[in-house]
Amino acid sequence: MTDLQRCMGRLSIYLLLFAFALLYLMPLYVMVTTSLKDIEEIRQGNLLALPNAPSLYAWIKAWGSACTGSECQGLAPFFFNSVRIVVPAVLISTFIGALNGYVLAKWRFKGSELLFGALLFGCFIPFQVILLPMARLLALLGLANTVTGLVLVHVIYGVAFTTLFFRNFYVSVPTELVKAAQLDGANFFQIFRHIFLPISVPIFTVTVIWQFTQIWNDFLFGVVYSGPGTQPITVALNNLVNTSVGGKEYNVDMAAALIAALPTLVVYVLAGKYFVRGLTAGAVKG
Amino acid sequence: MGSLTIANITKTFGKTEVLKGINIDIADGEFLILVGPSGCGKSTLMNAIAGLEEVTSGQLFLAGEDVTKLSPKDRDIAMVFQSYALYPTMNVGRNISFGLEMRGMPKDARDAIVQEVASLLQIDHLLDRKPSQLSGGQRQRVAMGRALARSPRVYLFDEPLSNLDAKLRVEMRTEIKKLHKRLGTTIVYVTHDQIEAMTLADRIAVMKDGQVQQLGTPNEIYDDPANQFVAGFMGSPPMNFIPCRVSATGELLVETSNQSLRLAIPQQSTLVGHGLQEVILGLRPEMLTEPKPEKTGEWIVPLTMHFDVTEPMGADTIAIGEWNGVEVLARLSPEAGLAAGQHTPIQVNLSKSVLFHPTTGERIR
Repeated sequence: MTDLQRCMGRLSIYLLLFAFALLYLMPLYVMVTTSLKDIEEIRQGNLLALPNAPSLYAWIKAWGSACTGSECQGLAPFFFNSVRIVVPAVLISTFIGALNGYVLAKWRFKGSELLFGALLFGCFIPFQVILLPMARLLALLGLANTVTGLVLVHVIYGVAFTTLFFRNFYVSVPTELVKAAQLDGANFFQIFRHIFLPISVPIFTVTVIWQFTQIWNDFLFGVVYSGPGTQPITVALNNLVNTSVGGKEYNVDMAAALIAALPTLVVYVLAGKYFVRGLTAGAVKG
Repeated sequence: MGSLTIANITKTFGKTEVLKGINIDIADGEFLILVGPSGCGKSTLMNAIAGLEEVTSGQLFLAGEDVTKLSPKDRDIAMVFQSYALYPTMNVGRNISFGLEMRGMPKDARDAIVQEVASLLQIDHLLDRKPSQLSGGQRQRVAMGRALARSPRVYLFDEPLSNLDAKLRVEMRTEIKKLHKRLGTTIVYVTHDQIEAMTLADRIAVMKDGQVQQLGTPNEIYDDPANQFVAGFMGSPPMNFIPCRVSATGELLVETSNQSLRLAIPQQSTLVGHGLQEVILGLRPEMLTEPKPEKTGEWIVPLTMHFDVTEPMGADTIAIGEWNGVEVLARLSPEAGLAAGQHTPIQVNLSKSVLFHPTTGERIR
């Protein structure tokens, strides 16, 4: 192959990648520009044009005063509802997953493989299947329509995934480390705390990003199990877009959608490289 | 005190019997080596001694005390692993002191011990490094340091040198031997390398299929093997095994290079008593040498052999010929090795020859 051919090959690859990246970014571009335009400019129909006079009016309204149903407080209260649901749910499910994974990988007992298989099953159960039984359970526990109830649902649903992540990560850790620590006099929790936690940074990052994205973006559980004061931001966004007073304010809808999507975007941009690295992290060399 | 008694220990995994009743008495300060091919149960026995694996039946006594049911941390045993098993996120110093920390020793005392152990093993300059920044030999030393720091009653070494290159292995072997001389603590050491076993051990336990085939000093194992397996496993190059017919008077009939020999052997009278038609003659290669006129005796026989192949090893040359249709190795001097070929005169020393039963492989005495 000549240099020219190699060069042309490279060029066509980059052109193709660039074209696809552009295609992917197009909706985001439209959202951002639309959210910065006023309603007059939107009506003119130039979807791809840059805003003439960019303003944050739509963002401020979406955050603080847009109507979601009968109330008009914007997304702010629902944003904090989501935070109150997501933070404990992510932390608890990740921690339980880490302990589960540690046990299933390094402290095998009779039936532990079966238990792991059963847990894995949880990854493949569709959300819709558990809606009714879960509603019944929450009612029995007195947690219906509460933030605690939603946290519980997300923890239960998330543990299957977090256990899978941690178990597969810990399986590649040499068992001799556990034996050595046992002989050194460390107990079950000391081995976890001193040997396993310090090597778990990559898998913690993966799990936290995964769980954060899943729970923040959840709509179904949010709409079914929340009460008037505990709705997460995804539900509020839906209500905001479906509530129209007068004409449809596309700029406010776009700003609201961006506000709802921002936390997961920020988390991914900040920790994305650790995400990829963690997914491909191999055995820990001693 | 660190005497160790292994009393009738068995271990089964499902239906597989990995250990079939092991009995070994290890004196305080003794260096015992467990040796055998892969899958013979030596590592399982090691884990059972450490308490990392429960035994199915039998008992284990440490200094007279029954420790069969004690957890690993209460047994006062330290172990050096084949993979070293250093804690990857801790530096060398913390790796060494971790066991002391877990046992609640105050920091000052820990630091003093780490310093002492590190200077003994010449790793003081590495204390702040992580295991991943160390070479194989250095990791090996750290792993030993971790065991030393706790000054336990018994050390267990699980094939500690098998991940090192040949030169380093010889160096570390000597160092372990020195260390044992200096500390005088009981050591149980697993290896599949018979040279390691011969050079290090006070006594060797040769294992096969979950059973101890023979337990004895290196010399006993080498010169007086209990059966054909032990004889073949220990020694390099391995012992020659030659199937021979037995004459009515107990001499062995050997065909080599168109000669028919009747070899008189020390065990002749017992052999007649057994009434066997055929036996397997075991003869170490160093018993077949070039003629040495200064060495004569009742059991030294001159003969000639055809050698097809010679393998110079430096200090001596291994020459390969044939007796009764099987390969026979002779150990010649380098000069004699150069001349070896058709009709080479050699001498055979039968005073240390051993005989095995042709079907069971048991020793005939």
